[in-house]
This record gives sequence, structure tokens and C-alpha cells, in this order.
Amino acid sequence: MPTVPLGWFVGVSAVLFFIGTAGVLMRRNAVVILMCVELMLNAANLALVAFSRRSASIDERGSVFVVFIFVIAAAEVAVGLAIILSAYRNQPTVDVDEMHRMKG
Amino acid sequence: MSFDVLELAFFGLLTVGIVSAAIGVVLANRITTAALLMAFTFLNVAGMFVLLGAETIAAFQVLIYVGAITVLILYGVMFTPQNPRAYALFFQRQTPWAALFVAPIGIFVAVYSLSFRDTATGTKGHDLEPLATSVFRDFGFPFEIASVLLLAAMIGAIVLVRREED
Amino acid sequence: MIGNVWLIPAFPLAAFLVCGLFGRRWLHRWTGVIASAAVGASAIVAIGVFLEVLGGKERTTVKLYEWIAVGDFRSNVAALVDPLSSVMLLVVTVVSFLIFVYSNGYMAHDHGVHRFFTWMSLFVFAMLILVMADNYLLMFVGWEGVGLCSYLLIGFWFERPEPYVAAKKAFVMNRIGDWGYTIGMITTFLVFGSMTFTDIFARMERDAPTQSVLTLITIAFFVGATGKSAQLPLYSWLPDAMEGPTPVSALIHAATMVTAGVYLVARSAPLYAAAGPSLVVVGTVGAVTAIFAATIALVQFDIKRVMAYSTVSQLGYMFLALGVGAPVAAIFHLATHAFFKALLFLGSGSVIHGLEGEQDMRKMGGLRRKMPITYWTMLLAGGALAALPPLAGFWSKDEIVGAAYTNGYPILWAVGIVTAVLTAFYVTRAMWMTFHGEPREHHLYEHAHESPSVMTLPLIALAVGTVTLGVAIGWPPDSGFIHTFLGPAVETPGAADHAVAVGTIVALALVSIAAGVLGILIGFAMYVRRRPDPVAVSRAFGWYYRALVNKYYVDELYDHRIVEAFRGLFGIAWAFDVHVIDGIANGIGWIAARSGGGLRRVQTGVVGNYALTIVAGLLVLLVAYGGYAAGVLGR
Repeated sequence: MPTVPLGWFVGVSAVLFFIGTAGVLMRRNAVVILMCVELMLNAANLALVAFSRRSASIDERGSVFVVFIFVIAAAEVAVGLAIILSAYRNQPTVDVDEMHRMKG
Repeated sequence: MSFDVLELAFFGLLTVGIVSAAIGVVLANRITTAALLMAFTFLNVAGMFVLLGAETIAAFQVLIYVGAITVLILYGVMFTPQNPRAYALFFQRQTPWAALFVAPIGIFVAVYSLSFRDTATGTKGHDLEPLATSVFRDFGFPFEIASVLLLAAMIGAIVLVRREED
Repeated sequence: MIGNVWLIPAFPLAAFLVCGLFGRRWLHRWTGVIASAAVGASAIVAIGVFLEVLGGKERTTVKLYEWIAVGDFRSNVAALVDPLSSVMLLVVTVVSFLIFVYSNGYMAHDHGVHRFFTWMSLFVFAMLILVMADNYLLMFVGWEGVGLCSYLLIGFWFERPEPYVAAKKAFVMNRIGDWGYTIGMITTFLVFGSMTFTDIFARMERDAPTQSVLTLITIAFFVGATGKSAQLPLYSWLPDAMEGPTPVSALIHAATMVTAGVYLVARSAPLYAAAGPSLVVVGTVGAVTAIFAATIALVQFDIKRVMAYSTVSQLGYMFLALGVGAPVAAIFHLATHAFFKALLFLGSGSVIHGLEGEQDMRKMGGLRRKMPITYWTMLLAGGALAALPPLAGFWSKDEIVGAAYTNGYPILWAVGIVTAVLTAFYVTRAMWMTFHGEPREHHLYEHAHESPSVMTLPLIALAVGTVTLGVAIGWPPDSGFIHTFLGPAVETPGAADHAVAVGTIVALALVSIAAGVLGILIGFAMYVRRRPDPVAVSRAFGWYYRALVNKYYVDELYDHRIVEAFRGLFGIAWAFDVHVIDGIANGIGWIAARSGGGLRRVQTGVVGNYALTIVAGLLVLLVAYGGYAAGVLGR
């Protein structure tokens, strides 16, 4: 009988997720924002694995989804950094509040 | 019985690690500190996976996140040196608003999710075989798509950072 | 073929769309070919329909679709095919076709030629709808349509001020007539419960309404006819309409649109037959208009104006015929007049074209040597207008005045005879001033040339019609083809139906011929021999002559009395249009611009803001979810 209830894992996942969200919305440095996005993804992974392992009969599809999320996250970091470097070449800053050329 | 106490203690430890490291990422002054704290968070999440009995996933977590992604981030940090004075402007202009929105949601979702119950029997380990079967047999096509996507992302990233003279 | 009767308006409609959409950029002068081909195709179908009706088909309704069905009221897009409408279809399509062919030459150098054929095609379409309709409402659609096209085509050369002023005048006067038409139409519905002709005719036979009601309806419709067919008092737009290109004058203001009023009255024959007082009004107005317009035509110097007043006068004859109970004669004259008046106009156009735009007859003269085809065809048409046998005009006009006499209207007969004298005179005058004698402006004369064959061939075709039509369908008088064909369609049982002695017919015919000859002789005397000299005569008549030249000052009268009186109302309407209507339209634009400007500021360009917005949305969703779950929101 597992002692740590499912709810606690999901709670941790939620907390982690919203800390990441706060970071995305609050930090100026683009690289830090990217890091916080990774935190959010991790939170999602955690929740998924928790539900997957703790369902009535272990449903491994949750874990499969997590594998795919790994792949996507890696790709996303690569491309995201490429974009940041591109923008950096334009103007040597990674301050997101300074990047408002698409202003309507 | 001692097993249970161990589990709870382990869980508590990991939770403290995750939450404090995450907060650290958000609030760290130096980027390198933030990056390393992020790596620490990843490690703790891997621990959580182990606690849940998904060891393979935990292994992947360490390999991919701590191994590859952290390194990538550090590269990114390296290639974008900043004027130290810029650190004075730390938070975005919209930070008050962000706090206003995120706090209630976060609290609510966290509290709400604590109420989830599970009925699992909780077999430990043995997650590699079903996982592999599922990925390569049931979800073979998405797997291939994912590889193509990775390839595309790689190419895209290279194209994006290419200098025109090259 | 009758089943395909809807092809007849379909071709010009297609031509209108093609020329309108593609004429300016791609088709240019080819619009003329397309439009002419379309009308030609319509003519062929019209001939087929006519032959089938001829073969003994009963009055048929060909329904295209059910248009309005509200309560008990039905109005369909349907065609009524009977002898009357098939004759009208034939006349409209054939004459239109010849005029279209002619226009290819006349309008060739105009930079707006595609626009010309677009509107002309639309006009033919509307006119065909008018003639084919099986109910007053659909007919009104065509009625308004031809009015619109008349406006567009009169004002065709809108770069100059006179044409668009004339176009406005035409449209406004038409509109006044339309008011009468509308009253007639609505009253028809109130009284008969339907606007469809066959329904009304059936009701008339079973259980006709009182004469006073019928008089109201018929007078109202006649007001409409007055506007459309340029009778007193709504006639003065027609001479001004000569600002439009000559083919327009020929088609719209001679052969087709202005005959719509005549058609309306003829189509409503059962109603008029039962409303005696209306017929008197119709006949009297027609006769007075005929002589009135003829007097003005005596002294006009612009060749097109002479023809315009002549048209007003001849239309008066048609209404005279309707008024004395001879609708067949009216339609007969409509058909012959379409041919010879179109020919006169096209011939005038040929003269104008050959003189590079000169229209004043005082500057013409001796042109018959330079433009022989034009001369001979116009001579035939002029003879028809003067009602010389065996040309077409004689048969129809003689029948009209003859009917006036035999049906008991000697005064109207006398008016008709006097007008015939005047008509013959002014035609002779016009022909002589233009084609005979010594050229008055040598410079113009030197450069005058005959028109190209694309213009002269239609002239010849129309001339053939002018010569043969009268004999072909009107002989013998009162029992020719047209009488047996049309009679049942427009005559009502019990209408003036007395057998007339042959001697009377011959005597009347001789009087008509004598009137025409008299007019020609006076014309010869005054212009060829100069005895009496026209200048002296005009001086002798002094003030009357001046009145005639100034068209009896009718336009001035209208302008001072009527237009001035309403000037305050016009000001109010104008202010309403500028401030309220335009205010709403501009206001909507202003709102769009300002709100767009304001909303633009949401796009800050800072991606973080957008992310925040997403999170805010998430908050809203959660609140909503919570509300539903807690039963606070939703039911």
C-alpha cells in the first residue's frame, strides 16, 4: 500500500508549475524564461507519471506521453536558444521588455 | 512500516528540494546560479519518478534534462553576455500584474489537487517492458514523427544561428 | 418556343453582365458585337414565339418562379404570351437589334463605348420584362428599369453639364408619373385582390367593380403613362433627352420606352373599356398633345428636336386611338412608328455623324448629293411620318383618325387631321433644310461624308420595314392581318363594333391623304419657292412665333411655379441626406477607425504581455469552472 497519496504528487506538480509560470511572467532575461518553461514541463511530466503509475491498473500510456514530451522539450530548447541567439545578434540584449518591435 | 516512513521522508525531502530550487531559479541573481538550480530541480524530479516506481523515466529524466538541456542552457548563457548593470532591471514591467494572476490560480490548483485519491496497488518498478512495448508497438508512428520533428528542430536551429557570410 | 420565352430577356441580361464586368478593361469595342449578337438572338426567339402564337396558341402564362407569396397576394416572375405581347416582343427586339448594329458604327470612337452597350443591354432587358410581365408588379420592375436606363443613357456624356441636367429632368418627371402607376397598382390589388392580368380580366367578366373605382384605377395608370410616354403635362423631358447619343434617342425615346405607356393602356384594355370617362381623358390628352407638340416642331432648328417633338405628337396619336376605342390601331401605329421614327433618328444620326457633330439645320443643305443612302431612307421615313400611301405610316395613322370619326369623335378627328397637315409640313421643312438647296456652310459641306455600311445597312433594313409593314399587316383596313391577330387580345366584347361602309372608309382615307399632301405643298411653297417666305411668315406671327420657338415657355413655367414652390422642401431633404444619412454612414466609419485605433494598443509587441493575457484567461476559465461546479453559474 503506497503511503504517499496521489494528491500530494499532483500538488507538488502544481506548485512547481506555477512557480515556473511566475518565472516566465516576471523575469526579464530570456534565457531564464526558457529555464522556467523547462520547470513547467517538468511539472507536467511529474503529474503525468503520477497519474500513470497510480491509476487502477498501471496505464503506461501516461509514461509514453512523457517520453514524447522529453523529445519535444529538447527540440524546443534547441530552437528557443537559436532564436535568442539570433535576436542577440541583432541587438546585444536578452531583455524581453526591450523587444517590442512588433508593437501594433 | 519503516519502509513507509522512509518513503514519506524521502518525499518530503524531494518536495523541499523541488520547491526551493524552483523558487531559486526564479529569484536567482546570477544566471549561472539559476541554471544550476534548475539542474538540481531536475534531479529532484527524477527522484520523484523513482518514488513512483518509474525508474526508466527517471533515467531518461537525468539523461535528457540534466544531461542535455542543462548543457544547452549553459551554452545559451555563455553566448549572451550581458552588461552587469543590466541586472539592476531584474523583473519585467508587468510583474505586479503577473503576481496578481498567478498567485490565486496557483494556490487554488495546488489545494484542489491535493484532494486526488488513487486506488493503485502500487507495484514498484517493472516499467521498462510495458513502456517499450507501448512506444514501439502501439505508438510507433508518433515515435517516428517525433524523430522527424527532432531532425527538423535541429536543422531549424542551425539555420537560425547561421551567419550570412557562412 | 413559347416555353423558352424567358430566353428573350436572358440574352440581353447576359450581355449586360459581360459588358459591364469586362467591358472596360478587356472588351472595349467588342461590347458592341456581343450586345448586338445578344439582342439578335433575342429577336430570333421572339420571331419563333410570334410564329407559335400565330399558329393559334392561346394566351399562355410561362412562369419562371414564384416571387411573392404573402397572405393572399401572389406575384410571380411569369410571362404572359399572347398576341399583344408577342407583337411587342417582336417590335422591341427587331428594332433594338438594328439600332445596336448601327451603334457599333456611331459610337465607335467614343471612349465610353463599353458603358454605352452595358446600359443599352440593360435597357433592352428591362423593356422586355416590361412587355412580358404577367402582372403589374413585375411590369413595374421593367417600368422602373427602363426609366433608370433612360437616365443613364441620356446623361451618357456626363462630362458636359447639359446631359446630366436633362437626365435628371427625365428621371424626375418619370417618377411623377410612376406615382400614378403605383396608385393604380395598389388600388388594383385592393379591388381585385391580385395584380395579375389574367386574374383581373377574369374578375372583370364575372363581377366588375363600379365605374368610379375603375375610373380611379385607369386614370392613375394613365398618369403613369403620361410620364413615361411624354404626354401633357409630363412631356418636356423628351426634347431635352436629345442630349443623349442618337441611337439612344432612336431606341428609347422613339421606338420602345416611350411606347410603354401605350402598351400599359392597351394591356389594361378591359379596365379602360368599362371606365368611359377615362377613355375620354386619354383620347383628349392624346389629341391635344399631338397638335401641341406638332406646332412646336414647326419652328425648331435642331434636327433632333424636330424629331423629338414629332415623337411626342405621334404618341399623342396613339393615345388618341386608345381613347376612341381603337386599341388595335394604336398598337399598329406603335409598330409602324417604331420603324419610321427609328429610321428618322438614325438617319439624323448619320447626318450628324457625317457632319462631325453639327445638329443645326440652318447650317446644313444639299446633303443629298453627299449622303445618298441616308437621304433616300430618310425620305421614305419622312413620307411615312407624313402618312403618304403606300408607306406604313399612312395605314396606321389613317386608321386612327378614321376610327375617331366613325366612333363618334368628330372634334378629335379634326384635331388629328390638322395635326397631320402640320406633321407633313415640318417633315418637309426638315428634309428640305437638311438635304436640298444650296449648302449653307460650305466648310461643313466639304467634309460631309456618307456613313459606313454598319450604319447604313440598318437604315436600309428599317426602310424596308417602313415601306412594307403597313401594307403587309394592315391591309385591308379593319380586316387585315393585324386586326384579326390582335383584335381578340385587346378588344373587349361589346366594344365599338359597327360595320362601316366602304365608302366612308375611302372618303376618310382621301381626307387623310389630302391633309398630308397639303402639308407637303405648303412646305414646298415656303421653302423651295420661298413664297410665302418663311422669314416673313415668322415675323407676321410675331409673338406666337416667339412662343413656339420657346416651346410655349412650358419649362420656364414649371421651373418658376413648381420647382420654386418646393424649394424649401428640397432644402430639408438635402439637409437630411447630408447630415442624417451621410452622418450615419460616416459615423460607422468613424467608429470603426477609432475603435480600431484603440484596440491596436493591445498589441504591445512585448511577448510577456501576451503570455500574461493567456494566464489571465486561465484565471477566468477557472473561475467559470468553479462557478459551474459550485452551482453558482449556469443552470
